[in-house]
Amino acid sequence: MLLAEPVSRALAAARWPARDPTGALLLWQAVGLAGGLALLGAGVSFGLAPLGSSLPVAVGQLAEHLRHRDWPAGLGVWQLLALAASLALAARLLGVLGLAAIRTLRARRRHRDLLDVLATPWPAMAGARVLAHPLPVAYCLPGLRSRLVVSEGTLAALSPAELAAVLAHERAHLRERHDLVVLPFVAWGATAPWVPGMARAQLAVATLVEMRADDVARARAGELALAGALRQVGGGAARATLTSFSAAVSGRLDRLDHRPNRPSLAARAASRLAALALVAVPTAALLLP
Amino acid sequence: MAGLGELERAVMDVLWAASEPCTARDVQDALAQRELATTTVLTVLGRLERKGLVSRTRDSRAHRYQAAGTREDHIATLMRDALDGAPDRGAVMVRFLGGMPPEEQAALRDLLR
Repeated sequence: MLLAEPVSRALAAARWPARDPTGALLLWQAVGLAGGLALLGAGVSFGLAPLGSSLPVAVGQLAEHLRHRDWPAGLGVWQLLALAASLALAARLLGVLGLAAIRTLRARRRHRDLLDVLATPWPAMAGARVLAHPLPVAYCLPGLRSRLVVSEGTLAALSPAELAAVLAHERAHLRERHDLVVLPFVAWGATAPWVPGMARAQLAVATLVEMRADDVARARAGELALAGALRQVGGGAARATLTSFSAAVSGRLDRLDHRPNRPSLAARAASRLAALALVAVPTAALLLP
Repeated sequence: MAGLGELERAVMDVLWAASEPCTARDVQDALAQRELATTTVLTVLGRLERKGLVSRTRDSRAHRYQAAGTREDHIATLMRDALDGAPDRGAVMVRFLGGMPPEEQAALRDLLR
């Protein structure tokens, strides 16, 4: 419960994630995992409590009883309800994730199939393809057979250095498999939008992934090139369609202008240790007597 | 040897340039300098049909193939796909402008209609 509301609120409001996106991403994943574990674990431990002091003992007892076809004496209606609810919840969470993964893979394959016919390979950039469209768009299609796509509008709007920054940004998404980082948050966020922490987590993770890719692009292509690319692609799209500049893009530009200092080694270690502890503590509580 | 994608693009160019539905033979002749085997042309046409880029009709003697939609239509579809901000599509693609507010994505998509 604590993880769903106050912790996710604090993590979403904190400023340090902008300085260490990787650590913050790990922490979000840990919060999600620990929250799920605690929720499922609470139901299962309550249900099996009459059979033993720890989960492994209790499960062993239950199996023993069932093998002899007798019903364990301690299990009442409430315990059975708690067990059934936990199992149903676990099945639902895994089912939703599986379904989202399948849908995602299918949509990606369809897109890639069309892309391979409609976009022309770009001789100067290995692995990149060009779509003949004047709107400036750059994106990547993740997966084992990933694709990197830019539109002609992007090529026209960017200098070679800016283009290199965009491609470095997209390659960072592909290489670090950000799609896999985002997928559980998107899948569970879509099924349980009423859980307060969920929407925040989804938004924060999406933003952090962009920050992380920006950091990689900045290291490879330089700060000016990345800022210029953001202004051109983001600004071009904004000029064409909108009266106000995209809030997300200006947020990322801000971050480039006031370049945040990298946190100290100790601070970075602390966020990773906290992530580890978040997952380890509920697990240990379940498994140890 | 040219990749399959390259061959598919060449066949589509033939179909887009043609004024009427083509037989596999017509496509083969149009790409004569590539010296393609008939089976290769049929395989490529079959793949394009599965992808929804080509439609096939049958007249008395032969199957005829026709481009389903213009190149511009399909490219607009891809761009819409790439910009689509629906929640369960969020993980399909990662865009350079990821994290754009939904109403701005909608405005961008409207441009592509």
